[in-house]
Amino acid sequence: MTQKVQKTYESVAWKWMRYSGILLIPLAWIHVLIQDVIVGVHAIDIDYVALRWANIGWQAYDFFLLAFTFAHGMNGLRQVLFDFVHGERARKAWSVALFIFWLLVSIIGTIALVKGARPELA
Amino acid sequence: MAAPSNPIRTTAEGYIGYRGREGHYAFLLHRLTGLGTLLFLIIHILDTSTVYFFPSLYEHAIDIYRSTPFMLGEIALVFSVIYHGVNGLRIAAVDLWMEKRWTIKAQQMGVRGTLAISILLWLPAAALMLKSMLEHNFGIVLFGG
Repeated sequence: MTQKVQKTYESVAWKWMRYSGILLIPLAWIHVLIQDVIVGVHAIDIDYVALRWANIGWQAYDFFLLAFTFAHGMNGLRQVLFDFVHGERARKAWSVALFIFWLLVSIIGTIALVKGARPELA
Repeated sequence: MAAPSNPIRTTAEGYIGYRGREGHYAFLLHRLTGLGTLLFLIIHILDTSTVYFFPSLYEHAIDIYRSTPFMLGEIALVFSVIYHGVNGLRIAAVDLWMEKRWTIKAQQMGVRGTLAISILLWLPAAALMLKSMLEHNFGIVLFGG
């Protein structure tokens, strides 16, 4: 029997963990396959990053990767914490703190991604 | 329902002591692989950002990743990303499209299946990464060249 779940912030977040997760399977797996398995960390340096981000397609790819993986991961962390934190005010405080952290790291990553690598300064 | 007096202890005891077999192990492994991947992801976003903010630091960061302990960690990370994806797909599929499959019997099979698929996908990747590690860090060429 299916019952209609009332739409709340948490019910939307619950659904989006599943949708973003499905999207992340091709997105993250292709990234891992290329960078970790095929190219390998010994072949990666700042010139490699500069070359990859010179292509707007890969830049866009990495932007989606950054946006979806990190939001999915931080919301997952929030869910894990909610197993341990039960008070409404404490949960709110954690959510705000995690959101600010997510925003800051995302902004740092996006600036680097948009401005690109600077191998001439390395 | 009132919150337990010490939720951290209660939850931790539940994590360890609950005997839910397959479903319980899948839950724990899903969280472990998720949190592990997130920890790496945070470090990875920040170290990659040095290519713009502190370009001279990037080579140092990559050098750390090239060390043997980190390459072994990388192999574990790849397992985490694969397992979290396969198991997450099982959860999403049953949650969104086949609620009737949310039975203990079906999911015990499902959990075993996801672990088997994950290991099968991981082994070739792990072999290639191990080969690269042995070549670069120990000068041992296993196959290919």
